Amino acid sequence: MTQQNIEQFTKAVGNANEINELLRRYGVKFGIYKNGVFNEQFFPFDPIPRVIASEDFKSIEKGLVQRVNALNEFLFDIYHEKNIVRDGIIPENFIYISKGYLAQCEGITPPNRIYSHISGIDLVQAKDGEWYILEDNLRIPSGASYPLIARELTRIAAPEAFSENEIVDNRNYAQLLKETMEYTNCGGIRAILTPGRYNAAYFEHSYLAEHTGSVLVQNDELFVEDNILYHRTYSGGKTRIGVLYRRIADEYLDPLNFLPESLIGIPNLMEVYRSGNVGIINAPGNGVADDKGIYYFVPKMIKYYLGEDPILKNAPTYLPFYEEDMKYVMDNLEKLVIKDVAEAGGYGVVFGRELTKEKLEEFRRTIIAEPRRFIAQEVIDFLDLPILDNGETVMRKADLRAFVLSGETTRVWASGLTRFSRNPDSFVVNSSQGGGFKDTWVLK
Amino acid sequence: MKTLNFSFSTKLTFDDYVHDHSFALRIIPPDTESQKILSCSLNISPGVTTKQTVDAFGNNVTAGYIQGDHRFLDFEIKGTAEVDSSKHSTFLMPCYRYQSEYTEPDDELKKFYVELKDKYMGDASEKAAYFSDILSDIIEYKKGTTTTATTAAEAFALRSGVCQDFSHILISLLRMDGIPARYIAGLAFCDGETHSWVEYWTGDHWEGIDPANNCHVNDDYLVISMGRDFRDCAIDRGVMFGRYTQQLQLVRSVLS
Repeated sequence: MTQQNIEQFTKAVGNANEINELLRRYGVKFGIYKNGVFNEQFFPFDPIPRVIASEDFKSIEKGLVQRVNALNEFLFDIYHEKNIVRDGIIPENFIYISKGYLAQCEGITPPNRIYSHISGIDLVQAKDGEWYILEDNLRIPSGASYPLIARELTRIAAPEAFSENEIVDNRNYAQLLKETMEYTNCGGIRAILTPGRYNAAYFEHSYLAEHTGSVLVQNDELFVEDNILYHRTYSGGKTRIGVLYRRIADEYLDPLNFLPESLIGIPNLMEVYRSGNVGIINAPGNGVADDKGIYYFVPKMIKYYLGEDPILKNAPTYLPFYEEDMKYVMDNLEKLVIKDVAEAGGYGVVFGRELTKEKLEEFRRTIIAEPRRFIAQEVIDFLDLPILDNGETVMRKADLRAFVLSGETTRVWASGLTRFSRNPDSFVVNSSQGGGFKDTWVLK
Repeated sequence: MKTLNFSFSTKLTFDDYVHDHSFALRIIPPDTESQKILSCSLNISPGVTTKQTVDAFGNNVTAGYIQGDHRFLDFEIKGTAEVDSSKHSTFLMPCYRYQSEYTEPDDELKKFYVELKDKYMGDASEKAAYFSDILSDIIEYKKGTTTTATTAAEAFALRSGVCQDFSHILISLLRMDGIPARYIAGLAFCDGETHSWVEYWTGDHWEGIDPANNCHVNDDYLVISMGRDFRDCAIDRGVMFGRYTQQLQLVRSVLS
C-alpha cells in the first residue's frame, strides 16, 4: 500500500460528504445524554483510512489474545478461588471496592468458563511506532458496526481500492459474533437485548441483530418461567432463548437481583443464568476487570495466569494508593493525565497541564483524600493521523478500539474502530466527546 | 441444641388485578453448621410452578412467574429444624468486610465511630457487644419511623428504628472497624414477624449478635437468609404489571 494508493482512494471516495450523507440516511448515529437531555448525534466519518501493516497487526493480535485470555482467567478466579488476591498480586480492596464487582456472581461459572466474549480494547500508537493499551472494555463495548457500515459504503464508492489492494476483508464481524454467540448458546434462539431506541447505541443493536440472524428484543417481550428464559411470540406462544447478547448494563439486568427500580431488566434472569440455562454475553460482573484501577495490574495478571511476558504494554501508570506512586504523582502532577476510576466515555479525565495553579492544588488535595479513586498516567505522545477537514488534510490524535471475540478460540477482528479527535488540541477521542471515526485497513 | 417448629406466612393483596408477576422468595431456611432443616414444606397460592436455586450468599431462592390476572399472592412455610448455636460457620466471603448499599456510613455515622473506637479495646466479640450496648442506649426501638428502604446512616440520624435498622448500623460500625459482618433475616422467639440480627467474623468463624434486643444469639434463632444487608435478604421480591396502587402485606411467624 503506497501513499499514492491512499490518495487515489480518498479521491474516489470524495470529500466524505457523500458518504456522510449516506450514513445519515442509514441512521448511523450516536446518541448522547448531556444535562439529562437525549440527543442523537451524527458520528462523522473521515475517508482517509488508517492502514496497519500485516506484520504490525500480527503482533497486536498476539498481544490482544494474550491479554483477553488473562482477563478471562482473572474473572473466573475472582468469582471463585481468588488465588490472585491470596498470593498478594492484587490488594483485596481493589477488587471489592470496585463498583464492577458483583457479589451476586460469586460461584457462578458461565458456559465454557468464558466471561468476556466481546472485548473492546483501546490502543494508541506512539510516535516511535510502539502500541500501548489505554483501556480494556469488557462489559458491553460498542462501536463495531460503524467501521462495518463505513466499509460497505466505501466499497460502493471505490470498489477498485479493494480489488487492487491487499486489504483484509472485515465483513466477517457478524459471522465471528454469531459463532461466539452459538458457542455460548445453552439451547434456544439467539437474542440481542436492547434498552430501546433512546439508547446511545441503538443503531448498532439493530444492525448486529440483523446481520447475525438474532432477534432484537426488549425486556417486555421476555419472561422467565421454570428457570428458562422465553421470548413471547406475536401469536402468544413462547420460544426459548439460549443465548442473550444484552446491551444493557449489569445493574439493570435483573430487578430481583440488582437495582429493583430497573424497568429495562428481566426478573429472575440471574436464576436462569446461575442454573446454566442461558448464556449471557458478556457475563455479568465483568466490570471488576476493566476498572481503571485494575488496569494497572493486567500485565501482572498475564504473568500470573499465563506465565508469559506481556506482548503489549500498558501506558505507564501510577496508583496513588501506593505511597511511592503517590509521591511521584504529587511531584509530577502537571505533566500527568489523571483518570477517575468510576467514570467512562472520556468523562473524569484531567490533564495536569491544563489546570490553573489553584485548580492543581485543589486536585492535589482531592487525590490525597481519595487515593483509590484515581490513576495517573504519563501522557503518551501518540501518532497523529491525517484527516480531511474542509478539503484540507490536517493531523489529529486518534486511537484504535480493537474487538476481540472469545468463543472456541480467542480471535481478533482484523479491523477495528479508529476514533479521532476533531479538536486539534484534544487527546480525548471518545465518540461521546464529539470525535469522529475512520475505517481501519489491515493489510494482507 | 434445640428442635424448633417453625411456620411463616405472608399474604400480599393488591387493590386491582395484576399480571406477569415474577417473584423471588428467600423463605426456605438453609442448612448451615448451626442449623439443620429436618422438614420444610412450602405452599404458594395461586398455584404456580416454582424452581429452587441457591444464590451467591448460600440462600435458597424460590423463583416463580404468574402470567394471568390475580389479586393476591400467599405463601407459607412450615417445618422443623435442629438448631445448635454452639456450632459455627467458618466460610468467609471477603465482600462482608466492605460497606454495602445500606451500610455505607455518612459523615455523622463516621464521626460517631471515630469517637467510639478509642473508648474501647478488645477482640471482635467484645467490640460487637460494646457497639450493641451503645446502640441500645441511644437508638429507640420504634415501629413506623423507618421503612425497608432506610439506610444505616438515615436510621442513625433519626436515632430510632426496628431490628433491620439496628442490624444495619451495627454492621456499618463493625465494618468501619475492619470486622467482617453480615445481615441475617430469620425467625426468633422475641418477635411475631420476621426478625433480623447480625453475624460478625471473629477471625476464624461467624458469631451471632442481636442488636435490637442487645443479646447473644442462642438456639432460639432460625436463620432464613443472609447477605451483605437487607437487599440480599428480602423475604420476597417481585415485579408485576397492573393498575394497582397499593399492596398490603400481612406477615405472621411462629416459632415453638
